[in-house]
Amino acid sequence: MNALGFDHIEALFLAPLALIPLLRSVLRENTIPSLLSVPADSLSAVAGGFLKLGGVIAIGASLFGAAGPHIAGAEQERFAEGAQLVMLIDRSGSMNETFAGRTPSGGEESKAAAAKRILKRFVEARRHDLVGVAAFSTAPMLVTPISDHLDSTKAAIDAIDRPGLDYTNIARGLAMALSMFKTSEADLSRAVLLISDGAGVIDPKLRDDLKAEFRKTNVSLYWLFLRTEGSRGIADIAAEDDESPQAAPERHLDLFFRSLGVPYRGFEAESAEATEEALKQIDRLERHPVHYVEKMPRTDLGAWAFALAFVATSLLVVAKLAEVGLGVKGGAR
Amino acid sequence: MMRPDLRDPRLVLLTLAMLSLVAAFVAPKITVRRPSFDLLAVVDITGSMNVRDYAASGRPISRLDAVKAALRAMLAEMPCPSHVGLGVFSERKTFLLFEPIDVCRDFAPLEASIEALDWRMAWEGDSRVSAGLFGAIEMARRLNSDLLFFTDGQEAPPLPARGAPTFDGRGGELRGLIVGVGGYELSPIPKFDDRGREIGFLGVDDVPHESRFGLPPEGAERREGYNARNAPFGAAAAVGVEHLSSVKEDYLRSLAEKTGLAYAHLEDGKSLWTDYAAIASARPREAAFDLRPFFGAAAALSTFFAAAGPSLARALAEMRRAALTRHPQPGRSK
Repeated sequence: MNALGFDHIEALFLAPLALIPLLRSVLRENTIPSLLSVPADSLSAVAGGFLKLGGVIAIGASLFGAAGPHIAGAEQERFAEGAQLVMLIDRSGSMNETFAGRTPSGGEESKAAAAKRILKRFVEARRHDLVGVAAFSTAPMLVTPISDHLDSTKAAIDAIDRPGLDYTNIARGLAMALSMFKTSEADLSRAVLLISDGAGVIDPKLRDDLKAEFRKTNVSLYWLFLRTEGSRGIADIAAEDDESPQAAPERHLDLFFRSLGVPYRGFEAESAEATEEALKQIDRLERHPVHYVEKMPRTDLGAWAFALAFVATSLLVVAKLAEVGLGVKGGAR
Repeated sequence: MMRPDLRDPRLVLLTLAMLSLVAAFVAPKITVRRPSFDLLAVVDITGSMNVRDYAASGRPISRLDAVKAALRAMLAEMPCPSHVGLGVFSERKTFLLFEPIDVCRDFAPLEASIEALDWRMAWEGDSRVSAGLFGAIEMARRLNSDLLFFTDGQEAPPLPARGAPTFDGRGGELRGLIVGVGGYELSPIPKFDDRGREIGFLGVDDVPHESRFGLPPEGAERREGYNARNAPFGAAAAVGVEHLSSVKEDYLRSLAEKTGLAYAHLEDGKSLWTDYAAIASARPREAAFDLRPFFGAAAALSTFFAAAGPSLARALAEMRRAALTRHPQPGRSK
């Protein structure tokens, strides 16, 4: 059972008014020389008592209803399939180009616009996820924290096809994304969804830090690589003797992610359709039971209070209509 | 007399109470059009915003922290269907974090996002306030919302001699506020190392004090070592106070005038809200309005007066009579 709540508690300050019917009747007063002249009548006493009570209830219940009483919705813990996700979105300038590497013209869609459309559909379909959004270019930015507020997540995704900034600095972005998870919730299914159209060389000094951080938080990683046509892909091996991260950053980033020791999948998408297909796969992979709290709608008690007040007031009106004057015409009031 | 007295005020009051209760069932809610506000808050996150020249509970806090606190307090003041978006400014660009979201329903993520604003988000160290402002104006116009632009007005590097770039848009097209952040006294700017740790304050030699782009200012030929071709700005390095910072109100006012925005100095959330509300474009939005408390209170009061009315009236008459007997008014008989 949950606590009773009021929307307008002020109305209850008038509650003492409900006592007045105990002292004063709504019926007319009659001047009778002596009460002794009326025989004691238990029925009348009961009826009088009822009327007093009716008055108390009429005022009390009206005020109670006016206060907007309700029982707060219970918070029910439920289990569903979903995950805690942080979308780490590349906002470097090249995201505003098409998959063909051009400035979008006519009906063409930039990589950012495609990602926006597809990601929005993704979060809408997965209502039980807790989603946070982070962006990065040269510096990482926390956009919205991990929450179940779908509207704020969508507003953050809406902003990703605006003109981007400078470079792609993945390491700092990943560190920011990991910092958004609370360490206390390590038993939940958690994942970082990295969406970028380029790789970068991760500073060797940061590699170990990142690795340790990933292991500690136990967050799985999905890399959705929006590949521009003709550029190198994740699996491309550079020319024989040029095996350096600088020559093939995509491949080496992929290798680094594989070495993290946490569940990792890399997806390469060269078009909007491929992006969608990759997200569908992620959707299937990230289905673990998560427990979430669902707020049940609150129960409104106002109608009951008003119904009670109405019955009580009707009783008083009936009594009033049935009242009969004693004695002279236009008897004392 | 066996018929009820229909003119009895008590019966009338009780009937009124009944009608009020019926009304509470029939028309519990109406929709009213209430003013609400849409705004885009853009916060300067460049280095000079780290200057600690605000105070909260006796401790100095940075300009950025003062902005966050004021913004949070202001959100709590805003009427309910209002929407707020958030952007940051650094270098010469305004970067949108998210489009306007509902202040009431999404208060928690909104507040957390404001709290997370950090100078470390800045992608470059420059601070071209006017360029950022013009970008923000364009962004707010597209989002169809008002603009709140928080900045201390410190251009870094300093503006060239010809002054700020011109504003291409139409002035007065957008409503909004340029909020000047910072104290009026010059204060030192904290300096950070590569890893983001504070290592003292910027010194005179850390920042350029004069822009050497474009044409030299007037009177440069009188400077020491001037040479029209090789040293048009003179030979000596300019020395100024660009390593210190105060709110550049005159500059911000001139920008406000150019762009048709209003100017206000940041004090706290309450004054920010009043400053904004004075110029904001109110957007009437439908909002549900619960009438039941009024009907309920009306029913309760009607029943109360039905019971207590005659006694109250009698008591009142008694009091008046008593007052009259105590202070009999001349020329009036009882």
